[in-house]
Amino acid sequence: MSPRTLRITLIVLSVIGIALAGYLTYVHYSGATPICSSSGNPCSQVQKSAYSKLAGVPVALIGLIGYVVILGSLLVREDERTRFATAALTLGGFGFSAYLTSREAFTLHKYCEWCLGSAGLITIMTGLALWRYLHGDPGRFEDARRTDLGQTEAAAPLGT
Amino acid sequence: MNLAPLDRKSVKVRAVSTVEDDEQDLTRKQRREQAREQRKALEEAEAASAQRRKRLIQLGAVVAAVAVIIVVILVATGGGSKGGIEKTATTGGTSTTPKVVTEVSSLLDGIPQGGTTLGSPNAPVTMQYFADLECPICRQFSEGALKPLIEKYVRPGKLRIEYRNLETATREPETFRTQQVAAMAAGEQQKSWYYIELFYHQQGQEGTGYVTESYLQELAKQVPGLNLTKWSSDRNNPKFTNTITTDAQAANNAGFTGTPSFLLGKTGQQMTKLEYSSLSDPSSYESAINSLLK
Repeated sequence: MSPRTLRITLIVLSVIGIALAGYLTYVHYSGATPICSSSGNPCSQVQKSAYSKLAGVPVALIGLIGYVVILGSLLVREDERTRFATAALTLGGFGFSAYLTSREAFTLHKYCEWCLGSAGLITIMTGLALWRYLHGDPGRFEDARRTDLGQTEAAAPLGT
Repeated sequence: MNLAPLDRKSVKVRAVSTVEDDEQDLTRKQRREQAREQRKALEEAEAASAQRRKRLIQLGAVVAAVAVIIVVILVATGGGSKGGIEKTATTGGTSTTPKVVTEVSSLLDGIPQGGTTLGSPNAPVTMQYFADLECPICRQFSEGALKPLIEKYVRPGKLRIEYRNLETATREPETFRTQQVAAMAAGEQQKSWYYIELFYHQQGQEGTGYVTESYLQELAKQVPGLNLTKWSSDRNNPKFTNTITTDAQAANNAGFTGTPSFLLGKTGQQMTKLEYSSLSDPSSYESAINSLLK
């Protein structure tokens, strides 16, 4: 993936994350029943459980803020620091998602498909962000090389 | 003609560059260039791997920090489900009452019970609580909003809560029947809610088949003052199986598919579905109950 494609993909995924977390935040505050494809509405049960809040803050809101900040890190000028920021933020989001999913699996024994969707999304985003950070900026390593005939030829950039 | 031999003097004459020499010079230049470029490539490769290492270290630090934070959150929010019956601790010949029994007793002692109903029969408001003893979400309610509701409304005689059966988590109908009947049988001695709450507080891991006859017997032994012989005999009463069927029908009529589900209304009058917004925060239940108490 070219750096530009990577960045755009991450931006699109962040926007999807914002929509998802936004919906769950709305469900939490309005008390509306979440749309759920499983019988018994486990989505609702998970949303109403004690684990849907952390220190009084709805986890959906934490997720929403997280996705917004990630998007922010992608919209500013791309450089070493902002790439690191995106990678670090998605890692944080991944960790938080893993905690919430483990609560669904081991404590509640109920799964909310929206939460699982967000978990999958943040996992993909983390993978992409880590790749993007580790493979840096190809422009940095562009190098001029002299050939036998004294012509200048750009060397193939690292990481593509 | 006599030619004297010429003086043989050796004379150093600078060699004039031949074509071969020219070619040699070029090769030397090329070699020097090559060496320089190799050095440069090597420096860059080192710089690249140094940068990669630096990035990996920084990411490693982030991973470590995130892991620590998650562990802190896990511990702070309660570590998850502890399974099974709390064993009676025995020190020096005297057995100490398990903590869970003390907790449940202090929650329920002094509150009248009849059948599966907790609370005064004259309470103006009734709540029907549809649940499955193995359901972990019901456990959340039991460990959350239920306690303040009991303290605030049931104990003072304003609310009575009727426990009703709805199978969700228990996927074996026969197990469901046996466990729910065990709780209802305790109701013949006005102790069904002790059984119910002791069950919820000591649930095992869902789906592991932990509800065995031994488990049900252990719970019964924990219920303060329960006559085990009578309890065993009451478990065979066919009326309880009918109750399960009736409750399932009522749940179906109300459109309930999950647990816990609640119906609320003035005692003896029409019951309506209670929409609750939290299993731990009692406010949504309280506002509904308060509006019926006016």
